[in-house]
Parts: sequence; structure tokens; C-alpha cells
Amino acid sequence: MNPLIPLFVIIPLAGAFLIMIIGKFLSGFGRYFTSAILLSLVVFSIYSLFTGSGTLSLYKVGGWEPVNRIPIGIYMVMDGFTVIVLCIINIIGFLSAFYSISYIKRYTSENFYYALFCLMTAGMNGVVLSGDLFNIFVFMEISVIAAYALVAFGVEKNELEATFKYQVLGCLASFMILIGIGFIYWKAKTLNIADIKEVLSSGYDRTYYLVVQILILSGFGLKAAIIPFHAWLPDAHSSAPSPISAMLSGVLIKAVGIYVIIRLFFNMFELSENMSVLITTLGALSMVIGVFLAIGQWDIKRLLAYHSISQMGYVVLSVGAGMILVAQGEKPEIATLAIAGGIFHLVNHAVFKGLLFLNAGAIEYTIGTRDLKEMGGLAKQMPATSATSFIASMSISGIPPFNGFFSKLIIIIACVMAKFYLLAALAVLVSIITLASFLKFQRYAFYNKTDRGREKTIKEVPFPMLFSMVIMSLLCVLLSLLAIPDIRDTILGPAIDILMDPVKYSTQIIGI
Amino acid sequence: MNDFISIASQPSVSAAVQFMILLPLLAGLALFCIPEKLRLYKGLITLVVSILTAYQAVIVYGTENLVLCLPGLPGTTQGSELINDACRYITFNLDKLSELVLIFISLFAFLIILYSLIYMREGKVRNYYAYFLITLGCSYGAVLSDNLLLFLIFWGLLGLTLYKLIHGHDEESSATAKKTLILIGASDSIMIIGIALIWRITGSLSISGVSVPTTNILTIIAFLALLTGSFTKAGAFPFHTWVPDYAKDAPASSSAYMPASLDKLLGIYFLARITMNIFELSDGLRLLLLSVGVISIISAVMMALIQHNYKRLLGFHAVSQVGYMILGFGLGSMIGIAAGLFHMVNNAIYKSGLFLSAGCVGYRTGKDEIEDLGGLSKMMPVTFITSLIFAMSISGVPPFNGFASKWMIYQGIIEFGSGAGAANKLWILWLALAVLGSALTLASFIKFIGGIFLSRRKTEFENVKEVPALMWLPLAVLALLCILFGVFATKVVVPRLFMPVSGTFEFPGFWDSSFVSLLVIISLALGFLIYAALNLKKFRREDSFIGGEKMQEQAAYPTPEFYKTFTEFRLLSVIYKKAEEKWFDIYDLSKRFVLWTSHLLSETHAGLLPGYVVWACAGIIIMLMIMI
Repeated sequence: MNPLIPLFVIIPLAGAFLIMIIGKFLSGFGRYFTSAILLSLVVFSIYSLFTGSGTLSLYKVGGWEPVNRIPIGIYMVMDGFTVIVLCIINIIGFLSAFYSISYIKRYTSENFYYALFCLMTAGMNGVVLSGDLFNIFVFMEISVIAAYALVAFGVEKNELEATFKYQVLGCLASFMILIGIGFIYWKAKTLNIADIKEVLSSGYDRTYYLVVQILILSGFGLKAAIIPFHAWLPDAHSSAPSPISAMLSGVLIKAVGIYVIIRLFFNMFELSENMSVLITTLGALSMVIGVFLAIGQWDIKRLLAYHSISQMGYVVLSVGAGMILVAQGEKPEIATLAIAGGIFHLVNHAVFKGLLFLNAGAIEYTIGTRDLKEMGGLAKQMPATSATSFIASMSISGIPPFNGFFSKLIIIIACVMAKFYLLAALAVLVSIITLASFLKFQRYAFYNKTDRGREKTIKEVPFPMLFSMVIMSLLCVLLSLLAIPDIRDTILGPAIDILMDPVKYSTQIIGI
Repeated sequence: MNDFISIASQPSVSAAVQFMILLPLLAGLALFCIPEKLRLYKGLITLVVSILTAYQAVIVYGTENLVLCLPGLPGTTQGSELINDACRYITFNLDKLSELVLIFISLFAFLIILYSLIYMREGKVRNYYAYFLITLGCSYGAVLSDNLLLFLIFWGLLGLTLYKLIHGHDEESSATAKKTLILIGASDSIMIIGIALIWRITGSLSISGVSVPTTNILTIIAFLALLTGSFTKAGAFPFHTWVPDYAKDAPASSSAYMPASLDKLLGIYFLARITMNIFELSDGLRLLLLSVGVISIISAVMMALIQHNYKRLLGFHAVSQVGYMILGFGLGSMIGIAAGLFHMVNNAIYKSGLFLSAGCVGYRTGKDEIEDLGGLSKMMPVTFITSLIFAMSISGVPPFNGFASKWMIYQGIIEFGSGAGAANKLWILWLALAVLGSALTLASFIKFIGGIFLSRRKTEFENVKEVPALMWLPLAVLALLCILFGVFATKVVVPRLFMPVSGTFEFPGFWDSSFVSLLVIISLALGFLIYAALNLKKFRREDSFIGGEKMQEQAAYPTPEFYKTFTEFRLLSVIYKKAEEKWFDIYDLSKRFVLWTSHLLSETHAGLLPGYVVWACAGIIIMLMIMI
């Protein structure tokens, strides 16, 4: 029993209630309290990352012990992969919350904002910690419903339209997931992931579970905005307030989408080659189509949102390539490399995409527009924003020495080693177009001529916004260290071990 | 190539290598912290760093070939546990080729920083010196790296600094900066594929340790991928299109530093590595290299002929000259390689010299177009004479260095013609086009010299003065090198500097550069004697010779006008027109394609919710249909 585990859910959940109550009497309470509780979660998650050293730890809610090795209570599980996702959720969450201190002052009803923010974080932490399907579903709904409300936070025409689309498609996703879970429960008579694995290991109906897998894949694929389920994302992510966009693009699509897909397909279902090829294909499609859609955009946040689709494509493609190799049972070291590349890119994407949305927010905050054609010459007035956004842009485009370069390098090398030459070529092509579209962003926002009339009035953004951006850009540089093989093995190794080994996860949970 | 690789940890050499790479990088990072107002001090620090590293480069020159691997983190005696494995990737390679390139990198960095102290006083580019030093450290790193991944990191960083050394203050220069980094970054990404393929095929990443025969499709793709990187950096056809734009829009010292000298040295260094060490070239690939070489020479020089902007003209020549170096490496013979390297060094000398003198002209007059200038020779004598030397060198006039290396390339081609392959049979074609390119270079440099320094002086330039000594001193040093390298080519320069790299060979035919120079001097002296012996008062004044064109009533004849004839040939005019519309620019072509695809795809994203729901449902149905 690891007593830290439930805190990740309880603290933000309680925080959300406290903010609503105390915030009524004490204005500005939510503002600082949110940052404080997220900071504590950051400490907890980093502490778990370095002390857990890859062991799997459990928390049985209510202390319900298993009967005949069949788990009956609610299990919360923390393993190598969980802890990495927890770290990025809480770090990006903290920085976005801190950034919001200045940014959200423009909006009314700050308390709602911070309460929803805490709820969303609680939901995401819950999803990654849950050991059973039903709780994954519940926590996912908590975080996503908070996200619906946050997308609409500006309550203008665009925001409402975006959140409406998001809700309709989100409900479709929840519906498919729920049906999928129902199907599993019908046959397997259990919802615990480890237990389902045990049940499946003694034989199952292939076609039946294939339908279930596709339902689950499309449901969570919708949450993760994998093509062809991506259509809600550009609207929702560009309409939300910028710190929320950073959370949605940086973290939410990973925690409730990619994370669950990876977890369920590796640790619950038996990996089949067909399914792995399907997942890899979806990843490649997202990667290519996403970037082509992105480069034509002139609204910065839409451009960034489309790039999220494309970058998630990289993650899915790389992990999918690893899945194919694992399913074939060949070249485990290359499969390890591919999965490591995917998870590394997932972490990196959280950081640089979060930072890019914060930069977009800073620009919108100072000059009040998101249209690239109306900007220009901001490098002189906003040096810190310009420098941090340059770092983030170079990271996402895969230019050394920033983190994105190394994860893309690993992905491409893994694809070549596994003889998936077409995937490697596509990854390179997409990387080039990504570079082109981010240089477009740099050129129109920070280079070019300054608008004379505006030159005097533009100032650098206030400290909380600056602080978050600078920390994230430092992370962009520091995460490159994960490319060093030994450091990679220490940090990402436990995550890869638990994913690669088909029975480790279930036996450890059932055994404890 | 390397017969005696010793995995040695020679402490002094190892320290020098670490020092050369780390000092500029760390100093560069530190310079970010110093405010821009203290620009002069930043410049002085940069100067000191460049001298210190140059000293190290001289120290390591001449050491035996060796491969170094770093024992742990630099600065600590023992590597920590976490970093141990990484040391497999941090290996350095010192051989004759890298030592040679190191020396010249140091030389150019030192001269250009000296020039920048005055030229960049206004602070045209933010953090100029910081990026300058990072570039220096990365160049050393790229040349010294033995591990291909380590090499790639340094190489990629160079693209980044190139982007930052241009000042994007208006539409054109920002577009150029963007174009430059897109092309360079794209080539770096493509190189990843090549490196990964080499890793897969040989299981090794060591430049000195692999040798891949280019026999099957995978190895050929790997070779082409790495070649793309080398060509883009050096600026060879068809990836050259960033060079002329960069030359036009960047400050002259930046263009002299990166595209003219360091990028050439590095691009050709890497070309040498891939053709000599990493791959064994097949006959077909040699044919490819030679064709690309001559296409680069001719196409770029034809474009240079019609330019009006003098910096852009120089940019096209920077592309054209690369063609000669590629020819040299395409030949693959010892004389070819030596000639390629010799031309690389010579080109870096006179091309950076030309950019720096262009910078001097711009510094004093503020004009970019040749039409607007004229008659500066009297006001700026040092700039004029050095430019003249550089121009004669680049056009291959004996006894300057450009002639010496071009002559060696011609000799190499003739020798190559005796071989049996398909590429060998075409030797007369390579030779003819190379000589033609040289002639056209001369033609376009008459425009450069004539248009800027000679011809009729405009009244607005009456008060133009010579540039300060710190600016003309680097020019003078480079001009002196042009002469020395030309005069002593066969006796000293080639045997001492280039033969250790390529292997010792005999010059075919009778040619001795010192003797030829002596003849040139004697003939000049004779001419002067005749001129002096006859009555020197007796000459007549004529109007300028205008190349047989019809004299018209206009008062002034801007030099570039003469070159209009080229654009009026029927076939050429079509090609030139298409070139102006950027039909041959790989960047613009792919940009059109990408934007067209993007437009096509965005048409489908009209924002209609029912459509989106249909997609999602269709996605599930299709997946179900495929899988079951």
C-alpha cells in the first residue's frame, strides 16, 4: 500500500470544493491555492519518480483485500509508466496554473476557472492511476466535462460552438468506450485490468474481442484526436483560454487518450499483429494529415492545435511500431527503442506544446490577436516570449540540441532498424513540414516589420506568465538529457519494461 | 584510410580537443548574459576565445591519426555511472583531414571577428557574438566528431546559428532566414535516415570505422541522404537556393563567416568523409557527382551574370565554385581529392574576402545595387586592390590561387579520361564545362569590379573614405594568402597541406606554379618596360569601350546593362524568366506542393459537426470491415 497514491486524486478534488467555498469570502484565494496544491503534487510525483525506481505499487481503496486472488475492491496502481504521465500532468498543470494568475484576471468568475482546473487535474490523475476500466471511465468523464466547461470559459460565439462540437464528439467517444467496457464485463465478468488479463489468458473469442478492441480504440482515439476522429480538436483547443489550451493539448489528450490506449493494448489485451498494424497506420495518417492541415493555418492556436494531431501521430506511430515488433516476438531491443521513442516524444510534446500555447497566450495577451498576419516584429518588445517560443518551435521541429530532436531521432532510427522504411521516410517528411510551419510562426510573429502604431504600447508579459514560459523552455533543453542511454534507461526503462512484458503488470497486481 | 587507429587517451591532445569545442560553446552561452550595450567587450572576448582555440588547433596539427573517446564527463576524472554509456557516442577523430580543416576554421573565425569589431558596431544582429562563438564551437565539434550522431548534433546546431546570424527586420530578410533554416533543417532530417541506415547495415556509427560499398539500393539511399546534407550545407545544386538569398540579406560578415567560409569547409569536409571514408563509390554515383558538379558550375554562374545586387552576385558564385570541388571529389583520384580540398580552401579565402569587401562598400556607401555605385577605386584603394585580387583568383587568372586549384582539377579530369567507366568516357564534357564556367566567372567579375570600383564616379560618393584599418587588415591578409597559395602551389602548399590527406602523387605534365608566376611577372615587367621606353606622354583619350554595343544617347552606362544581352537570347530568355519565377528553386516548388495539399485538405474541414460525426462513424465502420 503506497499512501501517496490517493493523494493525487484527493488533493485536487478537495481543492476544487475549497476554492468554491472559501473563494466566496476571500477573493484571490483560488488563484494562489491552485498553484500551491499543484506544486505539492509536482513534488509528490517527482518524489515517486525517483524513489519508486520502477517497482509497481498499489493502493486498495477501502482496504478490500482480494478473495481467492480475485481483486474485489478498487485498485489504484502506480508503475513506471503511470509515474511519468503523472509527472507531466502535474508539472504542466502547475505551470499553467501559475501562468493563469495573470492571464485569467481578464475573465470574470475566476473561482469557477480554478475549481474546474482542479477538477480536470483530479480527473486526469485518476485516469492514469486507476487499475480498473470503470474508474478510468469515471475519471475520464470528470476531466473531460471540466474541459468542456473550460473550453467555453470565454462564453463568446466561437467558444460555445467549439465546446458544443467537443461535447457531441466527446459523448460519442464516451458512448463507444462504455459499450466496449460493457462488452468486456459481459464476457470477462470483471473490470479490473489485471484480472481481465488473467481471464483472457485462458482463452477468449477472437472476433468478439476484436470488436471490443476497435470500440475501445476508436473511443479513446477520439479523446486522443487520432485521425479520423480528430475533427473536434482544432476548434476546442484554439478557443479555450491559453493555459487551458496548454493543458488540453499538452496533457489531456495524452492522459485520457494515448495513455489509456497504450496501457490497455499492452497490458490488458493480447497484442495481435493486425491490431498493431492498424494502430500504426492510424498514427502515420494522423502524423501526415495533421501537419498538412497545420501549415495552411494563420490563426496561431489553430496551427498549434493541428500540430498536436500530427505530433500525437508520432507517438502512436512509434509505439505502434513497437507493438508490431512485440507481437511478432522479434528484435526486442528495437521494440524497446521504438516504445522508448514514443514515450520520450510524449513527454517532450507535453512540454513544448504547452510552452507554445503559453507563448500564443502571451502574444494574445499583449496585442489582442491570434492572427499571424496582424503581428510582426515582436522580438524587440517581447524578448523573453520570443526566445522561449523560439526554443519551443525548434524543439517541436526537431532541431538539436532541444528535446524534440532526440525523440524524433530515436523514432526514426527505430523505424529504420525495424525495416519500416516508409514510416521513417514519412517521419522525416513530417518533421520538415513541421519545421516549415514553425518558421512561418516565428517569421510572422517575431520577425518582419513592427507595426509602427503599436510599437510603443507593447510590453513584455507579467512575471507569472514569464516564469512559466522560462521554466518550460529550460525543460525543453534539459529533457534532451533523456537521450543519453543510461539516463533514458533509468527514467523510461521501468515504463518500457512494464509495457513490453505481457504478464508482468497483471501478475504483480494479482500477486500483491 | 586510417591504418593505425589507436583508441588512445593522449592527455594533451584530448584536452586540446575538449578545449576547442567547449570553450567557444560555453563562452558563447555566457555572452548571452552580457547586455548588448557592452558590444565592444563582447567582441573582444570573442576575439580572445578565437585566438585561444586557434592556438589549440595549431597544437593538434600534425598529430598522428587517432580516435579519442572521452572518459566520462569533461572536467571530471571519472565518468559518473549514468554517463558511462554515453561515452560510446562521444568519440573524436583526429586525422590529417580534420586537422587541415581545423586550421582554416580558426583562421577565418579570427579574421572575420577582427572585421566584425567595427562592422557590427551598430548591433545589426542581436547576440551576434554569442552565435558567432557557438558556430565556432560547433564547427570544431562537427569536424572532430567520429560518431555520426554526435556529428549530427553539431551539424544541426550550425543551421540554427546560421538562422540567427541574419537580422530579420523586414519582409525579405525574414523570408530569407526562414528559407535558409527550412532547407538546412530539411537536409539534416534527411541525414538522420542515412545515418540510421548506416547503423543498421554496419552496426557501427564511427566515421573512421565503417566502409560501405554502394552496391544495393539501401546503401545508395544512405549515401544520397548524407550527400543531401553535405550539398545543402556547401550550397550545391539543387539545394543551393538559400545561398544567394542569404548573401543578399544577411550582414556581410555573417555571409563571409557562414556560407562563404565555414559552411563550405564543413560541407566539403563532409563530402570528403562520405566519399573517402564512409562509402566506396560505384561508377554510377561518380557520374552523378560529376554531373551535379558541372550543373552547379554552369547554372549558378549563368544566374550570377544577370544579377544587379552585388551581394547576390557573390552568393551565386559561392554556389558555382562548389561545383569545382564536387568535380574534384567525383574524380576520386588522389589529384582530384587534393584539388577539391585545395579549391575548397582557396574558395573560402577569396570568397570570404569578396564578401568582406562587399561589406566595406556597403559600410561606406549604404548601396546594394551595382547600378548605384561606381568609381570607388580612388576613394577606397585598399578595398579596390584586394577585391581585384580576389576577383582574379576566383576567375582563375594565374598566378593567383584560384588558377592553381582549377588547373589541378583540369589535370585530374584529363587523367580521369584514361579510365574505362561511363563517367570517364565523358571527360571532355566535364573539362569543357568546367573551363566554360571559369570563363563566365571572369565575365561576371568584370561587372563586379567595373561596376563598383571603376566606371564613372557619381557625385554623391565624392566624400567616401577608405574603411578603418581593422576592416581592411583582414582583407589584406586574405589577399596575401591568395597570392602565396597561388605562387607556391606546386612546391610548398599542395605537398605540405593537401598531400598528407589525399596521398602523394606526381603532377601530370610540366607545371610549376612558381615558374609560371615568374613568367607572368616577367611579361608584366616587359610590358611596363616597353611602355616606359616609348614616349609615355603619347596616348589618346577615348570614350569607354562598351563591348560592341550600339552607342546611345544616354549619359551614363551602368555596367550591368551590358549583361542584358544574355537574357535576350531566345532559349536563355525563357530559362531566365522561369528562374525569376522560381521554377527551379526546390524550396518554392515543394512549398507550392505543400500549400496546395494543405488547401485541399482544409477544404474538407468546413466546421460542420454532422460531417465530423460521419467521419468518426465511418472510421469505426471501416476499421471493423478491415479487421473482421
